[in-house]
Amino acid sequence: MIVWAVFTLILSSVSALGQSGLYGDEFHEELVLKQLPSGHVYSYFQFTTLWENGGDQPNHHCHLFPQSLSEVLHLYNVDEMHLSLTGGLWRHENWGYPVVSAPPGAELWAWFKEGTHDVDKKWTLLSNALSGLFCASLNFINPQQSPSPKYSFAPLGAYGSASQNRSLLRYSTLPREIVCTENLTPFKKLLPCDSKKGLSSLLNAGNIHNANYHSLGIHVRPQCKDENCHETVLELKQTVSLVYDLIILGQESRDWSFRKLFGVGLAGPCPLAKSSKIYVDCSTNATTFDYNLSPDPTEFINSNRGGYNTVFAVYDIKKTHIINMFSVSATHKGPRVQSIISPPVIHATRYIVGYGQEHGGIVTKIHNNHWKEIDITLFENIPWFLPTYYHTLKITANGGKQVLKPYAKHYLPGRDRSRPYTLEFLVTLPPRSVTEIYLEFDYSFLKWQEYPPDANHGFYVGAAAITTLLPHTKNYTGVPIDGSTFSSSINASRDTYPVTLHTEILLVTLPTPDFSMPYNVICLACTVVALAFGPLHNHTTKRLQMLDPSEETKGVIANLRQRLNSFLTQSTKAKEQSSPAPSEVIKSPQKEEAACGSKVTSRKKDRAAKSS
Amino acid sequence: MPVLLDPPEGCRRPTYLMVKHHRKLEMLMYLLGLVWFFALPSDNVSSASYFSENSLLPGLVKGGFVEDSFAKTLLASLQDEISANPTKMPYPWLLAQFRQIGLDTYTHNFTLNYPLASDLAFEGQNVYGILRAPRGSSTEAIVLSVPFRGSKSVHPSTAAGVALMLAIAKFCRRQKYWAKDLIFLITDHEQLGAQAWLEAYHQTSSGSHAVLNSGDLLSRGGAIQAAVNLELLSDRISHIDVKIEGLNGQLPNLDLVNLVHMLCNKEGVHHTFHNRANYGDGQYKVDPYKSWAYSLQTMLEMVFAQASGVPNGNHGLFHRFGIEAVTLTGYRKVDRGSPATFYQVGRVLEGILRSLNNLLERFHQSYFFYLLSATDRYISIGIYIPAVGLMASTLLLRALAVWRSLQLPSLQSDKAKLLRAQEISNSFASVGLTVLAAHALGVLLLRVPVWSALYLNVGADSSFAVVIGLLSFTAVTICLPSLMSMRQDSLLLLYVIGLIELATVLLAVSLHNFPLAILCSIVYVPFALFANGGRLRILRIVCWLLLQPLLLVAIMIFTYTSIYFPDDVILSKAVHAFKEALTFSYVDYAVYGNWMLSVGATFLFPTWFVLWVVVLKTL
Repeated sequence: MIVWAVFTLILSSVSALGQSGLYGDEFHEELVLKQLPSGHVYSYFQFTTLWENGGDQPNHHCHLFPQSLSEVLHLYNVDEMHLSLTGGLWRHENWGYPVVSAPPGAELWAWFKEGTHDVDKKWTLLSNALSGLFCASLNFINPQQSPSPKYSFAPLGAYGSASQNRSLLRYSTLPREIVCTENLTPFKKLLPCDSKKGLSSLLNAGNIHNANYHSLGIHVRPQCKDENCHETVLELKQTVSLVYDLIILGQESRDWSFRKLFGVGLAGPCPLAKSSKIYVDCSTNATTFDYNLSPDPTEFINSNRGGYNTVFAVYDIKKTHIINMFSVSATHKGPRVQSIISPPVIHATRYIVGYGQEHGGIVTKIHNNHWKEIDITLFENIPWFLPTYYHTLKITANGGKQVLKPYAKHYLPGRDRSRPYTLEFLVTLPPRSVTEIYLEFDYSFLKWQEYPPDANHGFYVGAAAITTLLPHTKNYTGVPIDGSTFSSSINASRDTYPVTLHTEILLVTLPTPDFSMPYNVICLACTVVALAFGPLHNHTTKRLQMLDPSEETKGVIANLRQRLNSFLTQSTKAKEQSSPAPSEVIKSPQKEEAACGSKVTSRKKDRAAKSS
Repeated sequence: MPVLLDPPEGCRRPTYLMVKHHRKLEMLMYLLGLVWFFALPSDNVSSASYFSENSLLPGLVKGGFVEDSFAKTLLASLQDEISANPTKMPYPWLLAQFRQIGLDTYTHNFTLNYPLASDLAFEGQNVYGILRAPRGSSTEAIVLSVPFRGSKSVHPSTAAGVALMLAIAKFCRRQKYWAKDLIFLITDHEQLGAQAWLEAYHQTSSGSHAVLNSGDLLSRGGAIQAAVNLELLSDRISHIDVKIEGLNGQLPNLDLVNLVHMLCNKEGVHHTFHNRANYGDGQYKVDPYKSWAYSLQTMLEMVFAQASGVPNGNHGLFHRFGIEAVTLTGYRKVDRGSPATFYQVGRVLEGILRSLNNLLERFHQSYFFYLLSATDRYISIGIYIPAVGLMASTLLLRALAVWRSLQLPSLQSDKAKLLRAQEISNSFASVGLTVLAAHALGVLLLRVPVWSALYLNVGADSSFAVVIGLLSFTAVTICLPSLMSMRQDSLLLLYVIGLIELATVLLAVSLHNFPLAILCSIVYVPFALFANGGRLRILRIVCWLLLQPLLLVAIMIFTYTSIYFPDDVILSKAVHAFKEALTFSYVDYAVYGNWMLSVGATFLFPTWFVLWVVVLKTL
């Protein structure tokens, strides 16, 4: 009993150490739940770790910050890093904007510290280290396929915008990456409480990967310690975004609860966390939807941000007395109503046009639903095997009637097997318009070893990224750049709200050889035909003509030798000349000559007669 | 091989023998080709079909479709809608159903500017809903389409198909295993709607410029991997007919066809090919001769359908875009016995969609070129191609023989031979001009329909103008050779060129549309061989005249009409059909990019013309 008491005491003091800010480190866990207008449920986990003096000394004690990650960051001079592993596509048109956007597959971009010399090497090492850390195929990222965008992906950290040396930035995507449990487990291990306690215990692999959209994110950046921003802390944001389709989850019911979404209830907060809160966005309750939340929230917060009012029901887990298991559930009242979905201000779609395997086009369509003009930055990263033609670039609005002129453009043509085609530009979208960006390309024929085992599946083209500043916060849920936790987005009105959109990834079918037995047979048959064609052609078109050996033109050396020979053996030669040498050539019997009746043989006959 | 690589003197013998006995050889090869072709459907030649693509895993999962009663309710409701508004598609009803199921729902507008009139436009609207795959990111898609027909349509209503499709959409919406987006498409105006939707999806145009304005789509679902077109004519189905022949004779991958047949088999739905079930199903002993005759008829049905180059369902338009597609037509059960219900057909479709969902790669394992002689027997390209090869090579053999006779007549002295060579090279000019003129006429012929429709004022009906234009053009071309004068040597050279071109055309077509090539070979090859000779000049002229492509079409239509409608007034019916056929062939060319007219006009017609000159002028 005494041992138990001592153990608890030590444990509590340790946990108090974490919380008390003895080292100034903080850990926050948050969960945001939102019922989307389409009826899907969006749940967003954010685990924020702030590490004081994190960026200063390489061998600093980590406390709450995961050591494995800190070592990697220090070793490779990383200033800022953003990694996302995503399954499924975020449907902006129906779902609005996520808190953090990510393209399907894996995306990694990083800013290296000022003064880093061998960025490419560091980048390779970083992606390999992260590959090991998250069990993802990030090791397939190589410097050749990683552009340095010129306008997009600006640094988000403190002092980041002060010096934008773009050679320190690397960006890469792996659109084919499939995200699964093997990535989630190492992700959870980076958390101070692992998945033993706290909100992370809700992250059940079986339930998470059943979602229509699931995205893991690791975002590291230096952040201001206070408002004066004299000192910085290292901020690590681990995010999990999930979108559940209630129609798939539960037959006819629109109700949701922790148990339905995550399979388990919540046992309690992470003891190391400074705050542990659940936010349920109730703005649409009583308008679009009508549901009861149980248990009753700790408080309701009204967030007025950029003219749009959002109501959050907040559950403070630290203050909640949990007896058994804690679960938030929403029970709907009244009949199901099909709500009209109003799309967000900017949303985009991308697709391949044309057919056949010779040439095609990539079209990116950007919808601007705002009543005013909006500036956007578009970043296209097209792999080398789709050589694009810059002169075919067309940026038109409203069905081709209006030609838009970008006020900054950057195009880097690719090189076979060594550099992708990157296109980046800043353009102003006209109010209430659809802008179409059209670019033509060829399908290139790869070397036969370059095809993957499933060659006929097709090849992926990564998503385009659109960066813009939204004028208002309709459908917007992002955390402001000066804040760390989701709670900092409450009442955070700013002039503009930055947002990044990722379009669809594309699947293209390159001309593929038929890697099969008939293919080999055809190859062989073609070779045989090619070998046979020449002689056959010869046989039918050419005629043999006899030449007198004496008239034959010989090389210089042969001529000299003959003269020498004739000079040396003049006397013997005279005797030999009398014998008929050319008659040896004729071997064909007379019978066949008559049958063929050709000119050649008759000539031969003439000559034979002459020489004899 | 040594024979080929290093021909010594004596090895000229085969060529010599070939040339010497060319007439016998030609006859032998032609007959052999014919026999080969007719032997194809025999069980000894054709093979049993099998699955090449392992990832399809057909029928491996237990079916879960239970929405058949929902489909019945929808059908009743839809029939009410159709009877309330018989001419238009009930858009609000369809959109509401799609939305209620929970799909992303869109409409698609298109306009057809009728190519044979200056100011005639038709408008249409398609409806489609996309089920976003929970386990995918919209990189791939599968299409399930139904052509909508109002009650005024000449074709039987497909309301049952629409109802079943919606029920399947409702079922699929609740499943979590979809890795490819499912697109549920309801098309307007039969094939036109499907073509417009596909063109809009790929933002391209396959026909003539500005004929089909295909509009734009608001949303897409990535690369379409496969499509199934559903035409259910009733909710009580006697059998499902699987249609495969597409535009320009393109076929879907054999794996897809096998998949449909196999799943029909599994769910106990009676399934046919060209409305013909397999011979001797359930019989203990089968007479091999009768079996062959039955299979031959099935194969010939396919051959005729494919040779026409016109798709026999909306599936045929998908093939061009690299999308494997079939049409499932469910016919109404009229006789006694238990019909296939929504439940069974729904399970078949569910199975097809799930198998397609399993696909890891595009269809590529199985055959793209084949003939079917039953629902479960096929003849691959390697087996059937020698038939047309044998026939076309007779032409080449004749060309070789004539060329040899032209080159080496029995002249003795070198000087005479030199003169002879001079003569031949002199005749090249006139021969070349004739060939060039023939092709120029062919290109002109391609424009005749639209010119005559737009500038020939013979009444309101543009198709009548097209017929007048084409017939007068034909008459002119038939008389044209009488203005020319040619030496007999030049004629021989022209004959050689004509034969080579005909053989090339036949072989080239055979690689893409074998049935068309074999039918043309059977008809043209003997007469092309017969075109050169001393006796029976009048007969030769008459024969070759009847083979004029346009006249041949007329003869075929007349024969067809007299066989199928023996009681009616044959002539007026045939004339009407002829008129329609010509108009449609041009419209198909201008709207869908059908090659039939262009191949006929720019290759077959010039070859006919070249040989016509030979036939007419050879004395």
